[in-house]
Amino acid sequence: MPIDKDLLAILACPKCKGDIKPTEKGDGLVCQACKLMYPIKDDIPVMLIDEAVKLS
Amino acid sequence: MDTATVERVYTNYARVYDHIFGKIFHDGREHAVRLLSLSPGERILEVGVGTGLALPCYPRSCEVVGVDLSEGMLAKCRERVRELRLEHVSLMKMDASAMEFADDSFDAVMAAYVVTAVPDYRKVMLEMIRVCKPGGRIILLNHFSNGNPVINALEKVLSPFCKHLGWRTDLSLATVLDGTHLTVLHKQKVNPLRLWHLVKCVNEKSNGNGHSA
Repeated sequence: MPIDKDLLAILACPKCKGDIKPTEKGDGLVCQACKLMYPIKDDIPVMLIDEAVKLS
Repeated sequence: MDTATVERVYTNYARVYDHIFGKIFHDGREHAVRLLSLSPGERILEVGVGTGLALPCYPRSCEVVGVDLSEGMLAKCRERVRELRLEHVSLMKMDASAMEFADDSFDAVMAAYVVTAVPDYRKVMLEMIRVCKPGGRIILLNHFSNGNPVINALEKVLSPFCKHLGWRTDLSLATVLDGTHLTVLHKQKVNPLRLWHLVKCVNEKSNGNGHSA
């Protein structure tokens, strides 16, 4: 289930509090500034810095 | 008790939580959602959504966001959301004491059995106030100590069990609300034994944070 647009608008990157965008596959939420991807596991975004994936 | 311990305890309890607590606490949850007096189109946050026992109570005309830190509880919750086709509900894994929502994101915020179960209730309260709109409703469903000697004695008996779940039994409502811009609109006792309080507050913040000036 893709994440709702309105919901995305109120969500912030846990690290910099900036905007986040869904990945093309819809398997995570990306903060370009921090180069971090917050995975979406089973429709549940994991909004924790400790569990974020570093992007190269 | 730290956040990681709370997460672990609840993940271990996820499978049996509904059997133990589902019925006992249902009455309170149902009341809590009713007390939110939701209008169509409103956005509600449930902090510490757990296995999602309250979710079926929310009207489908609202948008509900549930957050929890325990993966085990969230997995159970997701099952419930799918089974009951609760398409108005979104779930997120988040720390209630540092939520990743913008200020003033929700019309109402509900926390059932949360403030006595977290390492830092003050941080959680301030976060709830921050993400709730000014004038929005905040509902707390919780056990609050009230100084009654009979109840205090009963609390002592229940205390080792509560301790295991990370529940504090010594927190009063006045302590929780102290220094916040929350005004109590309504307070009632719920659940068997009437040990739990349902408290409806209005968020009277004006400056974008929950602190008193």
